[in-house]
Amino acid sequence: MKNKQAFEIGFNLIFGIVVGAVIIFFAIYAATKLIKTSVEVQSTELGKELGIILNPIETAFETGKSDKITFPAETRIFNDCKLTGTFGTQEISTASKSLNGEWQKPSFPSSFKNKYLFSENVLEGKNYFVFSKPFEMPFKIASLIYIWDENQAYCFIDAPREIESDVVDLNLNNIFIENCTEESKKVCFSTSGCDIDVSLDISGKIRGSLKKKSQDRVYFEDSSLLYAAIFSDTNIYECQLKRLMKRTSELSSLYYAKTIFLSQKNCNSNLEADLSIYSNKTFSFNNSIQLRELNLYAEEIRSKNEDLSCKLF
Amino acid sequence: MKICHVNYSRRAQIKIQQMAFVLVALLIFFAIVALFYFSIASKGLKQSASSLREEEAKELIKKLASSPEFSFTANTCANCIDLDKALLMKYRQSYQEFFNLDFLQIEKIYPDSKKVECDKTNYPDCSTISIVDSKEIGTPKTAFVSLCRWEQQKGGYFKCELGIIYASGKGID
Repeated sequence: MKNKQAFEIGFNLIFGIVVGAVIIFFAIYAATKLIKTSVEVQSTELGKELGIILNPIETAFETGKSDKITFPAETRIFNDCKLTGTFGTQEISTASKSLNGEWQKPSFPSSFKNKYLFSENVLEGKNYFVFSKPFEMPFKIASLIYIWDENQAYCFIDAPREIESDVVDLNLNNIFIENCTEESKKVCFSTSGCDIDVSLDISGKIRGSLKKKSQDRVYFEDSSLLYAAIFSDTNIYECQLKRLMKRTSELSSLYYAKTIFLSQKNCNSNLEADLSIYSNKTFSFNNSIQLRELNLYAEEIRSKNEDLSCKLF
Repeated sequence: MKICHVNYSRRAQIKIQQMAFVLVALLIFFAIVALFYFSIASKGLKQSASSLREEEAKELIKKLASSPEFSFTANTCANCIDLDKALLMKYRQSYQEFFNLDFLQIEKIYPDSKKVECDKTNYPDCSTISIVDSKEIGTPKTAFVSLCRWEQQKGGYFKCELGIIYASGKGID
């Protein structure tokens, strides 16, 4: 006679398996979500902290400052520039690697209205090199911050003496004026066909234009803008320049108000008309090609201000 | 017709109930742990956001005197604020959001002057210029600065006095 006794799965076993599976599913789901959220929070904090630690690098009366930023792990920095509002916005976000080695999505961006970061759109590495230079036209407008990662190197070929002394004096890392490495980006100041071709004005001053491979030509009027054009992508350069001109316009309006206010206190500058025009011109700035014309206005204001007994700036 | 009827013993029924209670208790335990974690995490996040704001204000205040909007540039002078510019900036709405601060005030502390807010009519016989003054402010950070302005007396000259600058970052609601 066959044994017909079957294996009986008890209710408690089925109940235990079902509820246990639900608990484990929710636990794994929650843990994954939590890890993802905390990584995003960390990246967002990192972006904000990066913006804050860039503050001491900005210049006051110095001609330049340089430093190195080291992240705890390999990090991507996303540099974005927005033109909304009176001054536009500098947005910085970061991303770190997940446990499986893949890059996470960029964090929520941290916004700064008074910062101007010149770099490629995305940087990647653990160590970053930064330096800053003041931008004046004709009064100081901002400190420009240049940033590049440890994987990038630049080779300045036949650079003017002013640029060479900046590289040496500020001890800029990964920027060579001799003994260039193979991988370094070649920046040519007197020849063409390099990664970055710089065409300098015949006046001997640091002004002219710059062309990167497969990017549009951009224009600069001093060394601070030359570095900005070298280290940043064309879209970042043009956008930050527009932001700088918005700030110039506001500062010109402020100096315009100041000269009217001080003219009642025996301090006439006669710069009202110049400042008003300059403010309007910089407000309608659209492209770096307009820099040449704006610089002529700026030089006029600078020379008039220098002759004043009560200087406006 | 056959009716299958499973007869669980009393002991087995108690075991099932016991297991059900344990599983429900486990669910409740995990829910409480999750709630506890979220409350701590959100508190920590608020604190870290707040401390980042404060840190920003602290770093910013060190740099504020040398920013183009404040710096006195007629002569080379580190940590000198152009008080004339600061007064006029107060009237410009565009600078309210520029520094990402919710409180920004300049106070003249020496020589003594009338403890009143400055405006175009009482300037320079006043003590404070409030450039940003939101309703909710954190603990302001301070820095001593020189306040320089054009003084029209004695033929006109630049006069510098001692002042203090207050700044605080945006609080988190």
